[in-house]
Amino acid sequence: MDHARILVVDDDREIANAIEKLLTLEGYEVVKAYNGMEALDALVTNSIQLIILDVMMPKLDGLSTTLKIRENKNIPIIILSAKSEDSDKILGLSMGADDYVTKPFNPQELVARVKSQLRRYMYLGAMASARKSSQIVVGGLSLDTETKEFKVDGEPVKLTPTEFKIMELLMSNAGIVFSAEKIYEKVWQEEAYSVENTVMVHIRRIREKIEINPKEPKYLKVVWGIGYKIEKC
Amino acid sequence: MDTRLRSVSRRKSTRILASVLTVILITAGVLLIQYLSYTGRELESLFIEKYKDSNYFYFNDVLPARNKVMYLLNNRDRIEKVPDDLDYYYYISEGETVFTNVPEDNKELLEEFEEALYSSGDWITEDNTDENYMHYFEREDDFKLALKFHDEYMASKQEFWENSRKSVMPFAVMAVLCFVLAFGLVIYLMVITGKSQDDDELHMWKIDRLYTELQVIAFGSIFAIWFSIANDVFGYRSSVVNKLEISQIYSLIFFGILTIFMVTIMGVLFFSMVRKFKAKTFWKQSITYTIYFKVKDFLKSLFDGRRFEKFPLTKALFYRQLAFIIVSFILVVLTFLFLFAPPLIIIPPIIEIAVIYWYVKYNNKTYEEINKGFDESLEEQMKSERMKVELITNVSHDLKTPLTSIISYIDLLSKEEDLSETARDYVNILREKSYRLKNIVSDLFDLAKSTSGDINLDMEKLDLKKLIQQTLGDMEDEIKDSGLQIRTKLPEEPIYIIADGKRLYRVFQNLIDNALKYSLKGTRIYINLEEVNGKAVASIKNIAGYEMNFTTEEILQRFTRGDKARTTDGSGLGLSIAESFTRVCGGDFKVDIDGDLFKVIIRFNIEN
Repeated sequence: MDHARILVVDDDREIANAIEKLLTLEGYEVVKAYNGMEALDALVTNSIQLIILDVMMPKLDGLSTTLKIRENKNIPIIILSAKSEDSDKILGLSMGADDYVTKPFNPQELVARVKSQLRRYMYLGAMASARKSSQIVVGGLSLDTETKEFKVDGEPVKLTPTEFKIMELLMSNAGIVFSAEKIYEKVWQEEAYSVENTVMVHIRRIREKIEINPKEPKYLKVVWGIGYKIEKC
Repeated sequence: MDTRLRSVSRRKSTRILASVLTVILITAGVLLIQYLSYTGRELESLFIEKYKDSNYFYFNDVLPARNKVMYLLNNRDRIEKVPDDLDYYYYISEGETVFTNVPEDNKELLEEFEEALYSSGDWITEDNTDENYMHYFEREDDFKLALKFHDEYMASKQEFWENSRKSVMPFAVMAVLCFVLAFGLVIYLMVITGKSQDDDELHMWKIDRLYTELQVIAFGSIFAIWFSIANDVFGYRSSVVNKLEISQIYSLIFFGILTIFMVTIMGVLFFSMVRKFKAKTFWKQSITYTIYFKVKDFLKSLFDGRRFEKFPLTKALFYRQLAFIIVSFILVVLTFLFLFAPPLIIIPPIIEIAVIYWYVKYNNKTYEEINKGFDESLEEQMKSERMKVELITNVSHDLKTPLTSIISYIDLLSKEEDLSETARDYVNILREKSYRLKNIVSDLFDLAKSTSGDINLDMEKLDLKKLIQQTLGDMEDEIKDSGLQIRTKLPEEPIYIIADGKRLYRVFQNLIDNALKYSLKGTRIYINLEEVNGKAVASIKNIAGYEMNFTTEEILQRFTRGDKARTTDGSGLGLSIAESFTRVCGGDFKVDIDGDLFKVIIRFNIEN
């Protein structure tokens, strides 16, 4: 992991250089490419553990490049794009990307995402075979009902018992929306009365612990006016 | 001297005095005349010196005498003796027949009469020229009648005439004096009316705004009423007496009051018209002129293009319509004319059909043009809207790329270890501002997308109450940091609406954020939700911490913000985005500013 080699692809050389600097400072090795074709070439000549890929590029754009890479490789791909709409994100992720970061990005957030993706890549690679029955895994989140361990991309995260119970409920029903009342009844084992705020505050705290950017959560999502859910990955 | 006279002559009291005096003088004059006729005095004696020239003589002597003579003539067989106490001689000739009371010995009189008929020294003749007369008496063509009054009789009458004149004269002189004085006062009033003591401006009265015609008609009809009453009153005659009957005294009083009243009204109207003359509005302020002007202006507007300035295409429509109406009218008239020439009657309908064909055909063409123009402008509008979205998308992309570099390099710069303390401060400011710029670009993009309607919505049924609670929970830290308190009043039951949850969350987030940012320290923010007439009504109220010297329209305009607020962070688009997102979700968004109270009301249809 310490010697991970990252391929940065962006037609804007300044941005590519900046990302290179940023990642080198974190101890990564960086290979640069300035369009999709160069990126594919670089993949052949180098051993790459993660790709940061711009979308709008000459010759071969980011999305097509992603498709091409996914034909024979499953290394993590983080897409970088100036397009910030949900539909763009969904499109990118459905093409096989693992994460979607919008420009202009917070450099620290990008670094965090890189780390998260690398960890998960390594971790899942090692853990894939040995999954215990007491483990619930959703995307990069894993939760052990016996050991009460909670990990994000292999990194342990400390949750309070209540937070753990909430996550257990949501993760074992990934993709299903729970109302605050239901969560309260199941977790607190009490009749729910005016609990929206209590639950919401917990959700927010959990988000701060497990999400790289709590404002744009990847896993724990609020369905406004309805309830809460864990995104199915 | 001059100014003093002016100040006196223009004084209000002088004017009122003159007016009252005029009314009194006119009334007095009229009453004098009435008195004269009541006492049976002949006014004619004033003007006609000789009794024989007067109308009085003709009506009181000549006509009765003639009638009497004709009576005698018609009944001469039955009357045994022609009365010999007549005051006149008569002579009638009809061809050879002669009927007369002229004595045989007064031959020269007869001869004189042969030449010219005579009365009172002159003969009064009735020629056969008077057709009514001839008819009445069924006389032959050569009928002739002559009368001669005795000289003694005429002399006595002349004496009566002169006595009458003598008794009438003082009254007449007084009446004339009254009228002359009144006339003088009227002239004076005419000169000064409308002028004030202080300046030479013309001051109009309220009554002067009346249309001239109305004034003239009012004046005329009042005068006519007065005159007809006066005629009735004067027509009442009696023999010469010096004492009046009681009913006549009443009549005098009644007529006097009536005259005062009517002369006053007529005076007001008259002077109003005089003022209008002076102001040269006599003509302009008439109905006729108003109609004339409107018609003229309308006709003018048809030809100078004013009328069709805004809608040039309707010009053709109008002219066609005008032509159609005129031609149709002429054809109708022709049809009636041709009723007298049956074979021709077929022509107008044929022409009419042709005209209708022409009218419909070309009108349709014009309508087509109008529709085309309409479509074009609509398309133009859509195109410009689309271009706007594209522009915003491109611009925001072009902004984002360099901004990415800026943010990245600022981050790298901050990681440099050998930065001085000052440089580090600068870098922090740069970082802060670059993130603010990032937010602005992002807000601008969201707003442009939503206002143009080019936005993907994820509409679903949701509980507005829950959404507000979630938003408040989500913003708990910000609320705590602000030191402000939030008071919520939410209903027990959920309130379901159809909306895009994410967008609506942004709406409430922005509104609460604004309230937190701009509220006066120590005040409370009130968030209410209730059901009103089948609508979900949410309101957010806060007391502004600064003077809101803008209107609700201004605050919703993009980038408009309270002056002080400009310095704090945020894009200034929060409220606009909230409004726009509410609208795209199908809700109603209203801002209400009442003094320092800032209030936003959001309405949604309730979904069951």
